[in-house]
Amino acid sequence: MTASHSQDRIELTREIIPNATIAREVRADEDGAIASFDGCVRNHSHGRSTLYLEYEAYESMALAKMREIAEHVHDSFAINRVAIVHRLGRLEIGETSVFIAVSAAHRAAAFDACRYAIDTLKKTVPIWKKEFFADGAVWADGEVPPLPAAAETPAAKPASN
Amino acid sequence: MYVKVLYFGRLKEIAGSAEESVEVRDGERIEELFARCSSSRPELRKFRSSLVAARNREFAAWDTALSAGDEVGFLPPVSGG
Repeated sequence: MTASHSQDRIELTREIIPNATIAREVRADEDGAIASFDGCVRNHSHGRSTLYLEYEAYESMALAKMREIAEHVHDSFAINRVAIVHRLGRLEIGETSVFIAVSAAHRAAAFDACRYAIDTLKKTVPIWKKEFFADGAVWADGEVPPLPAAAETPAAKPASN
Repeated sequence: MYVKVLYFGRLKEIAGSAEESVEVRDGERIEELFARCSSSRPELRKFRSSLVAARNREFAAWDTALSAGDEVGFLPPVSGG
């Protein structure tokens, strides 16, 4: 793991995610933009009415992968702080399953970093969603993470000068 | 030697447990470990083509050789977010 960014907030939680608090806490006085993504539970899936969801994770690996995303975001975008918080357990309709917030001096970097973080999380972090319907439950179709050759090729670190 | 095997999502339901300790031969590869684990649960084999393996919390190729005490996860397609 490379240098830690101590102001980042990378968490798995079984409690309701405090979106507003997280968005407020990523902001510092040098920031001019906060971009956030709120992934929330939808009441339908593939034409069926969803009752609720359950999420589970390979927790130690998921946290490691979420930290890697944060490190990559710092290396690749001109941002200040990043928060990535994912909920586990049972979630009701409308509740937040994942919340990402990024602060930056300027909006473009904040938007780009936030988009990169959620897209990469959905492809690489070992978390699974089970959808519960009136007539049964199914594990959601997911994405197959990239093979190690791709997954283990870290982006070149820019010289820190 | 022994390794720890972890199952997640639908695999956990098929395997009937989340975690087990499995005796393997020295230098056994992840692919062979999966064959060993699925020999008594043929249902698991149906999912092989969509699985990714992890060794000690890092994605690992199927031909990765195992060491004593390794933690191996068999991961179905991920669906967080």
